[in-house]
Amino acid sequence: MYKWLSVLSMVVAAQAAAEPVIIPAGEYKPAVLLDETVEVVVMPAFKLDAAPVTYAQYLEFVSENSKWQRDNIAAIFHDGNYLKSWPGNEQVPAEYEDKAVTQVSWFAARAYCDAQGGRLPTLDEWEYASNYYLQQQNLSDKAYAQMLFARNSNPTAYSKQHVDANIEHLEYMHNRVNEWVEDYQLLLTNGDDNDLLAGSCGDSARFMADFGDASYATFFRYQSRSNYRPQSTTSTLGFRCAYDMEK
Amino acid sequence: MKTFIKSAVASALVVSFAGLPVIAEANVPLKHDSEYVIDGKIYGMPKAKIYRDDYNGPAVVGDYVTMVPHLAELDYKGNKEHEVRMDVFSQKVEVAPGVSYNAWTFGGSVPGPVLHVREGDRVVFKMKNRSTEEVVITKPFKGASPYFDQIAANQLQKHQPVVAPMPHSMDFHSGTVAADDKWATIAPGETIEFEWIANYAGTYMYHCGTSSVLMHTAMGQYGAVVVSPKEGYPTDKEVDQEYVIVQSEMYLEQMGDEYIYDHSAALARDPSHVVFNGHVSALSENPLKSNAGDRVRIHFLNAGPSGTSSFHVIGAIFDKVWAEGDPRNTWYGMQTVLLGASSSATVEFIVPEEGVYKLVDHEFADAERGAAGALYAGPRKK
Repeated sequence: MYKWLSVLSMVVAAQAAAEPVIIPAGEYKPAVLLDETVEVVVMPAFKLDAAPVTYAQYLEFVSENSKWQRDNIAAIFHDGNYLKSWPGNEQVPAEYEDKAVTQVSWFAARAYCDAQGGRLPTLDEWEYASNYYLQQQNLSDKAYAQMLFARNSNPTAYSKQHVDANIEHLEYMHNRVNEWVEDYQLLLTNGDDNDLLAGSCGDSARFMADFGDASYATFFRYQSRSNYRPQSTTSTLGFRCAYDMEK
Repeated sequence: MKTFIKSAVASALVVSFAGLPVIAEANVPLKHDSEYVIDGKIYGMPKAKIYRDDYNGPAVVGDYVTMVPHLAELDYKGNKEHEVRMDVFSQKVEVAPGVSYNAWTFGGSVPGPVLHVREGDRVVFKMKNRSTEEVVITKPFKGASPYFDQIAANQLQKHQPVVAPMPHSMDFHSGTVAADDKWATIAPGETIEFEWIANYAGTYMYHCGTSSVLMHTAMGQYGAVVVSPKEGYPTDKEVDQEYVIVQSEMYLEQMGDEYIYDHSAALARDPSHVVFNGHVSALSENPLKSNAGDRVRIHFLNAGPSGTSSFHVIGAIFDKVWAEGDPRNTWYGMQTVLLGASSSATVEFIVPEEGVYKLVDHEFADAERGAAGALYAGPRKK
C-alpha cells in the first residue's frame, strides 16, 4: 500500500505541475446558434486546464474532500454510478492514473474545480477554446468531424494522456472525453428552458450556422451533452477546469 | 373508470352499425382515467415515466418479439396487453464481409427486434439506456423473448458487446401519442416506460428520435412493429409463409482498421451499403424458404434513413399489396412497390415453380450496394 501511494504521489506531482493555458481574448462564431440574433460572440481572455482532469488529480481531490468519495457522495449528486470503477474510496483502477477521469457527475466536476480555485468553463468558453485548439492544431473540418464521430462509436476515453508540465497549448480537446461545461443544459434540453421541439427527429437545421462537417459534429457533441442530467456519470464524460485571469 | 369502459363499448357498437367489421372481444378495456375512445380507437395514454433502476436482466422481453425475418404467431384470440422491453445499447455488428462497426442498437441487432401484435392490443413498453454496459445477447437468457434463441442460431452479424455511452430515445410509428414525453430522450442508466395502443393495422417503423436523428438511425436504431388487422387479411388461410424484411442504408467509412459513421455521406445520401435485414448477405446466407405454388407474405419496411426502396421479386408478381400493411389499402398485380423512408407494404405472391427467386431493390444502385437476397422454392407439395 505504501509503495503504491509513493508511486502515485509522483504521478500527482507531475500532473499538478502543468499550468492552465491562457486563452487570449477574441471573437468566435458559434457553430450552434443559441440566440439567433448573435452570430459573433466576443470572448475575454481566460485560463483553461491544458488537458482533461486525470484520475490521479481527482484522487487527490477526493483524498482531501471525503464527502466526494465514492461511498460518501450524497445520493442527489449522482446517478448511482459515480466512480463506480474505483476499487476503493481512495484507490483508482489499476493503471488509470494518467487517463481522463470519467464517471463524474456535473455536481462533482463543479466541486473539483471549485477546490482548485477555478470553475467549470462556460459553454462559450469551451467552444471558443475548441476553435482556438483546432486552429493551433491545423485540423481540417473533415478531420475534426471524423475525430468526433469516431469517438461516438469507438470511445477514446480509455487512452492515457501525456501532458508536458511546461505545456502552453491545449491537449485532448476532442480525442478523449466529452466534457462537462457549466451551462451544458442551455441548448435543447430536457429541463425547464428547453426549446419547444428540442432538436429531435431532424429538427436541427434551425440551430445550425451552416451544414458543414465541422458544424454538424459540433452540434452533435452539444446535443448529446445537453441530454445528460447533472447527476449523469458515464465512462466517456469528463471535464477540465477554467480560471479567471488575475485582475 | 366505469364510464370510460361504457364509452368504449358504445363506440364499438357505433362502428358496428356503420357496417364495418368489429370483433366484440377485440377491445382492450380502458385502463387509465385519461383514456378515451374515438372510432373504436383508444387515445389519451398517461405520461411516460422516467426512472433509474438496477435492471440487468434480458435486454429483450416479450413473447411476440423475434429477430428478422421471423414473425411470432399470434396464438391468442382478441386483444391482449403486451409487456415489452427493448433495451438500448451498443453492439459491434458485421454488415458486410469484413465490415463491422460499433452500432447503436435496440436489443443488440441491426435492425432491432420485430414486435408482432394485433390491432387494438395494448403495449406496455420499457427501455433502459444501457449504453454504458457491455450487454451480451448471444447467450440464452431466462425470461427473454424468442429473439434471443434466434440471434444465437444466426450469428451472421457476429455480435460483440461494446460500450458507447450516449443519450437515446424510442419513437414507435405504431403508437398514437404525444412525442414530447413518450419519445423523450433518456440518459445512460435511465429507464423509460410508457404505453401505446396499436390503433391501426400495418407494419410500422420504430427508431431513435434523439438528435442527430440522421446519425442515430444510420447507426442502427430502427426496426419493425407488425400490427396484424383485427379481422386479419382476406388471404390469411391461404398464406404458407410469412416473413419480415427491413431495408436500410449504412453510411460507413474506413478509419484505420475500423469502420465509423460518415455523416457527410449520410447528408449526401451516398450509402456505403444498402442492406436487407442488416447485412449484405442476410438473405443469401439464410434465404427465405418456400415451395412451388405457395403463397408467400412479406411485411416489407424501408427504414431509410433517407433513401427509397423499389422492392421487386425477380420472377414473381405481387398478387396483392397492402400499402403500409393496412388491409383497406389493397393494390393488385404489382411488379414493384415503391417505398419512401419509413414506409412499408405487406406483399403477397404465388411462388410460380421450383427455383431461386431474387429479392431486390430495383433501384439498382441500391441492389449493387447490397439490397439483394433470395427465396429458395422447393418442389410443389400441395
